[in-house]
Amino acid sequence: MGIQDIIEGKKQWRAHTARVKALPADYRIVYKEMQKYLFKVGPVDLPDGPLLPGIVDFFEEGVAAGKGVLELIGSDVAAFCDGLIQDTRTYADVYQESISAQPGTADK
Amino acid sequence: MEDLTEMLKGTLEGCVLQIIASEETYGYAITRQLNELGFADVVEGTVYTILLRLERNRLVQVSKRPSGVGPPRKFYALNEAGREELNKFWAKWQYLSSRIDKLKEGGR
Amino acid sequence: MNFWETITGSDLTREWKAFEARAETLPDDYRAAWDQIKHYLIPQGDFTGRSLMPILDAALGLLEETAAEGQSVQEVLGDDVQGFCTALTGGHGARTYRDRWREQLNRNVARKLSRLGG
Repeated sequence: MGIQDIIEGKKQWRAHTARVKALPADYRIVYKEMQKYLFKVGPVDLPDGPLLPGIVDFFEEGVAAGKGVLELIGSDVAAFCDGLIQDTRTYADVYQESISAQPGTADK
Repeated sequence: MEDLTEMLKGTLEGCVLQIIASEETYGYAITRQLNELGFADVVEGTVYTILLRLERNRLVQVSKRPSGVGPPRKFYALNEAGREELNKFWAKWQYLSSRIDKLKEGGR
Repeated sequence: MNFWETITGSDLTREWKAFEARAETLPDDYRAAWDQIKHYLIPQGDFTGRSLMPILDAALGLLEETAAEGQSVQEVLGDDVQGFCTALTGGHGARTYRDRWREQLNRNVARKLSRLGG
């Protein structure tokens, strides 16, 4: 990762955080809890992929339609998160693969 | 009907594909259509996660268009791969329902 | 020569130094948690330092985010840091830990939304 990428990444992240701050309180609370969960589960495209900004897009639409956040995504927020990252690789998957790959290469 | 969620899980993606196949449309409209069909428990968030997956698996074509209220809307149309996936879904559905019907009739 | 360098190769030390610089700015209890996380993750890390990097990055990112919100580190990681690390790396028992994260997420949302007053 070059310096430029890091600076660009920071700028984008700040813009993203500003959008989150502008959401109504209920949306903001749910977004932050979701982000915490997603950070832990660790899908590989989380930091620079379209997932998090996509959630904010979706939430902004919900706000514009005058809906409450749980009305929009249902009360099982964890199930919603799992749906978002279904079929995507996590860092844990990558790590587990790297461990199990080792004995194989040692054999050769 | 209540408590459909678990049973509906594997088939909802096919339902969404079918809805998109008949016309280019967006998340909220898809949700309303499913609700009117009798799946009252389906919320926009569920449809959002399905659309995200369809997009990730390149089964749909997405275009952003301005909406009367709030931020621009994402419209979804099926592409060739999406149509193939939809055909597969109906073939599987037919197989499944015919087997289950047979079971109910006493396995003849 | 530091420990990390010996097990991973020096090309990763630059990234590693960046982690440490970030960790320096955390509050004390968070820094202690970071040390614990390293303690549990790094011994498993021989030859796999590279694939461990994103996991450490995510863990540090989580600490930074939640520290900025003023939450206690206890609330974020729970009591079982070792279990937390197991779940991060997808090791044995990761599934039960992820179930706990799910419950925690829904519980936090319910609690904080009710505090909003409806």
